[in-house]
Amino acid sequence: MNRREVLKSLGGGFGMLGFAGMLDAASQAPHFPPKAKHVIFLYLNGGMSQVDTFDPKPELTKHHGEPMPGPKIKTDRASGNLMKSPFEFKRYGKSGLEVSEIFPKVGAKIDDFSVIRSMYTDSGNHEPSMLMMNCGHGLPGRPSMGSWLTYGLGSENRNLPGFVVLSPGLPVGGSQLWDSAFLPAEFQGVQVHNEETLPEKLVQNIRNTTLSAAEQERQLKLLEKLNRSYLSQLGNQPQLEASIQSMEVAFRMQMEAPEVLDIRKEPEHVRARYGDGSFGRGCLMALRMVEKGVRMVQVYFGNFQPWDSHDDILVHAKLAAAADAPIAALIEDLKSRGLFDSTIVLIASEFGRTPMIQNSGLEKVGNGRDHNVPGFTALAAGGGFKGGIAYGATDDFGFKAVEKRVHPHDLHATVLNQMGIDHTRLTYRYSGRDYRLTDVAGTVIRDVIS
Amino acid sequence: MMGGLRLDSRDAMLKGGKSGAAVVPGKPEQSLLIQAVAQTHARLKMPPTGKLSDEEIATLTTWVRDGAEWPAATSAAAVATVSHWAFLNLEKLDGRTIDSFVDAGLVAAGLKAAPPAGKRTLIRRASFDLTGLPPSPTEVDAFLNDSSPDAYSQLIDRLLTSPHYGERWGRYWLDLARYSDGQLGANKDTPFLNSWRYRDWVIQAFNDDMPYDQFVKAQLAGDIMPGADHDKLRPALGFHALGPQGDDRVDATTRVFLGLTVACAQCHDHKFDPIPTKDFYSLQGVFRGSEIYQHPLTDNAVVEAYSAHQKKIEDAKYELDTFVQKRSAELSESLARKTARFLVAAWKISHGMEQKDALDDETLARWVEYLKDPRKDHDLLKPYFDLKSNAPIAEVEKTAAAMEKLIAGIHEERRRMEDRNYVKMGGEKGVRNEATRQYTNLESLEIHQYYLWRDLSSEPYKKDFVDFKGGAYFYGENTIGRWLGPEWRDELNRLQTIYAEVKNSAPAQYAFVHAVREGKNPANMKVALRGDPKTPGEEAPRRFLSCLAAGDQPLFKNGSGRLELAEAIVAHPLAARVMANRIWQLHFGQGIVRTPSNFGRVGDAPSHPDLLDFLAGKFIAASWSMKSMHREIMLSNAYRRSVAMDERAAAKDPENRLLWRMNLRQRLDFEALRDSMLSVSGELDAEMGGPAAPMTDVNLRRTVYVTVARTAPDATMTLFDFPNSNITSEQRTITVGPLQRLYFMNSKFVEARAKAIVPRLIGTASGDRIKSAYQLLFSRNATPAEVRMGEEFLAQSGQAWNQYVQMLLASSEFSAEP
Repeated sequence: MNRREVLKSLGGGFGMLGFAGMLDAASQAPHFPPKAKHVIFLYLNGGMSQVDTFDPKPELTKHHGEPMPGPKIKTDRASGNLMKSPFEFKRYGKSGLEVSEIFPKVGAKIDDFSVIRSMYTDSGNHEPSMLMMNCGHGLPGRPSMGSWLTYGLGSENRNLPGFVVLSPGLPVGGSQLWDSAFLPAEFQGVQVHNEETLPEKLVQNIRNTTLSAAEQERQLKLLEKLNRSYLSQLGNQPQLEASIQSMEVAFRMQMEAPEVLDIRKEPEHVRARYGDGSFGRGCLMALRMVEKGVRMVQVYFGNFQPWDSHDDILVHAKLAAAADAPIAALIEDLKSRGLFDSTIVLIASEFGRTPMIQNSGLEKVGNGRDHNVPGFTALAAGGGFKGGIAYGATDDFGFKAVEKRVHPHDLHATVLNQMGIDHTRLTYRYSGRDYRLTDVAGTVIRDVIS
Repeated sequence: MMGGLRLDSRDAMLKGGKSGAAVVPGKPEQSLLIQAVAQTHARLKMPPTGKLSDEEIATLTTWVRDGAEWPAATSAAAVATVSHWAFLNLEKLDGRTIDSFVDAGLVAAGLKAAPPAGKRTLIRRASFDLTGLPPSPTEVDAFLNDSSPDAYSQLIDRLLTSPHYGERWGRYWLDLARYSDGQLGANKDTPFLNSWRYRDWVIQAFNDDMPYDQFVKAQLAGDIMPGADHDKLRPALGFHALGPQGDDRVDATTRVFLGLTVACAQCHDHKFDPIPTKDFYSLQGVFRGSEIYQHPLTDNAVVEAYSAHQKKIEDAKYELDTFVQKRSAELSESLARKTARFLVAAWKISHGMEQKDALDDETLARWVEYLKDPRKDHDLLKPYFDLKSNAPIAEVEKTAAAMEKLIAGIHEERRRMEDRNYVKMGGEKGVRNEATRQYTNLESLEIHQYYLWRDLSSEPYKKDFVDFKGGAYFYGENTIGRWLGPEWRDELNRLQTIYAEVKNSAPAQYAFVHAVREGKNPANMKVALRGDPKTPGEEAPRRFLSCLAAGDQPLFKNGSGRLELAEAIVAHPLAARVMANRIWQLHFGQGIVRTPSNFGRVGDAPSHPDLLDFLAGKFIAASWSMKSMHREIMLSNAYRRSVAMDERAAAKDPENRLLWRMNLRQRLDFEALRDSMLSVSGELDAEMGGPAAPMTDVNLRRTVYVTVARTAPDATMTLFDFPNSNITSEQRTITVGPLQRLYFMNSKFVEARAKAIVPRLIGTASGDRIKSAYQLLFSRNATPAEVRMGEEFLAQSGQAWNQYVQMLLASSEFSAEP
């Protein structure tokens, strides 16, 4: 019985869950040999517009200012006629894939990316769609992808949390997005406040500010003895062994975590390429953590929903400027450190943006785009994802995915597949039902993986 | 499911959908299902995206060729209906005891029960279980010295009368009720100002031992229960009034009170339980026929005065803002007509030339600043920026004039556009209505013209990724005064004074209850096919679940049907079974049914079905007294066993379903853990009830009173498995992990508790004080080895008592409940 099976058989009855920390990480085995070992999920919260970034639409340009053909489409707010992208597209790399001028550095790396142009989702509101993209369900209460991955695979480095979330504050939807829900709390994402630079401010209680290291070590030796003494009085109690061991791990974690998160340890020429924004810092921290064996790192672009360009799509240029260089630098450094093949870099939003202009009285100016549910773009690189390919397609205007449609469930299934997990078999029995990340759906997109 | 085809029973597949039989047993090539998955059919291709693997298709083909056998158990879903054990009437089992059932199980399995727990363990166990707090050394001594035969039962009675009992068990109920002090928001909760009234009602109900059937009915229909004091019961309606918005009311109601997952039937007939989709909408109709509202705890006059005053504030603000915006727009438009002069003056200043034109200093200074950096979001000022620095002044003047023409034109254009938009929205009424603004498609300037206008005349704003500091011509409420003539200035002062006055004289919001009441027009709902309200199906009359009755359930006749629903719930044996099991679960660490909110067919099978029926029967016979249930359970030998391990029993029954020993609970839940630290340090603020406050290091109240958030829950609470309050939670998972250990090692909270404990230790010699610490924290005597262990540490560390005590708090023993 491996660790996952033990956990499953215990089914949440809390008498026995102490085994959770006892079995070593190696016994959490994948279902089949994995292509990838880590995931870095770069989350562009708010909704990146597909037609202004990675899904060029000449027909949209041609029909600029005209109503979209067909019946009037109901959007969240008042939407007007078609609006062409204000940005130029250019062919990049050997693949010749077209990328918008606002992502020149990612463009230069496009031969490393699968560009999935046929994403669609279920809800036009941020929160349910963010939950869908992160937890595979539109309502709160389901474990996030990172929780499932660490539950399924454990961490490669037990001195660090297996699932780390970098966000300066909270995105829309809050910490639900990295919740472990009914999975044990050890699988929930640990939030690191990446607007901070001092390691001790990044993680709660990571450092003792009163005692010296020597004092604390003496203290922990005492604790070890206290626990042994208690255990000898209680007799054979395997559950308690777990909590005793977790103390030792904690001590090592407080040594190692600040070291890993401290990007000042990187040379200036490395840091410079990531810029000094919180997203860039997050990408660099993600690199350092993956290097040390953290299973999944998620970087939120920012608080609230920065990519939500309702009133002015030109703001996308500023957003892209903050995202472009760090993403490209991350790809380069993963390669130079030999981690690219074993690390999936996933870039996604909860939905896209309409090809139509949004002109409602809630906005400061009418030059933006509303939420677009039926079609948007996600990117994946590394970890066995093919490079330089575009997968699926939206219609002529970039509104609706029409070819090889991909739901977040399919994306999740594919990521899990690359991690060596059959998404239909990674289940957890809760309240009488076997739950999984992909609910009752999800198909691995074979064409984007090698 | 498409074209009327169902694939979840053999009969349905043989019958097929519009296109014919999906499966022809023995003939895969004629089976539409196989054609669809192999994607050889011209039209039918399944799944809609992607394709099954060859292996999967082969499996299906073989299965059809072999006759398409279907396991009997799953095809029975529609047939099983009332025969499922949990739906049956309670078995009569009078005259038995808990131990007679448990012991029979042990005998049958050939297992021996663990010896009884010692008295120290017992008083600790009982105290944690009923109050969430450890016993004091005095209480421990009293119990140890009481050799009367009813010492233990008196201990239970004493604990059950403690007000801390309600705080402990009320919190468990709040887990189920998905209680929160705020509504899920974008990045923080919208606070529920009076949520605590529900929390306090629950605590009080437990302390009063309110009969459970009343307790249930009050939470669903406390406002309409006949013969009840509705004002007293109304806070109970917070069960739903404080729930998440949306459709979770059916889910919470059926899971919590009946242990059924009816929400699974929202989109399709329940796959495992005999719950048709129609039942979901029958119940949903009840809730849609009721409404959530704020029930004032004061008279109407106060409420009306409050609302009227709020309206006054809004009006005064609107008047003030409108006045300022108009003056501001007029001002910027007239300044725009001086643009050429400003540009020329700015040119002269920045080129070291003498500047004599009498222009407004501040505005000119803003221009100079603005022109310093030619990188703009628009290129409309390019002609000006392109001027060579040695350009003759006449050329500068000419370019500036062209710029003025452009800028003044844009300002004029924008004014006209705003006027048209105002009309489009239907005037003031529309402008003040968010929905109208959201759904009216308005005109706006071309984006670069907008940027130019904004850079000159917009107020400052922050939105998404933009942080705009305000335009050169912009003067707002605080800066426009000097531009206004005396009459206008008086008017501005007048509007500001009115606004300040109404704002400052606003009465505080009156107290209210988050409540539920009958809706104006309760009506039946139609089934939404596949969960999509745009495809309505047959009408679903409001009535109780069809699977819980042999024949048709009677229709609900009164109002929304809430009261009839509540009465139907408590009349069904499931209600008693489910609650008896919940109480059992919290005493033993696992339930007789280990899926406490799912008693359906995929729920856990009961380890002792007769025992569960016995308990449920007792529960009802004792007038639904929860305190009687505790007494019944805690007086059993099964509850009083030690946690001693028995290798043979563990090999045979590793999950201890037969209760050969007491389950060792390796960590108290977060509330008990934090409250215990405060209790042993003597700092616990025992005040009960009232508004919640965030969990800070100086908040020393019981954890049940700290703010529970939905959007940004407290990180320490979630670290220790505090449940997600967006959904009903049937039991706590209890984990121990390194990050929790960091809390004990490094947090200021634990450090401060240790510091407060040290002066409470009795004695002068180290050894005595160590013994005192063991009494206080662990309710036992330290062994000589443990005393030595402590003395050695204290000697080495130079009498670092705080550090020593902190490790006692961090130890497994402090957290564990054996």
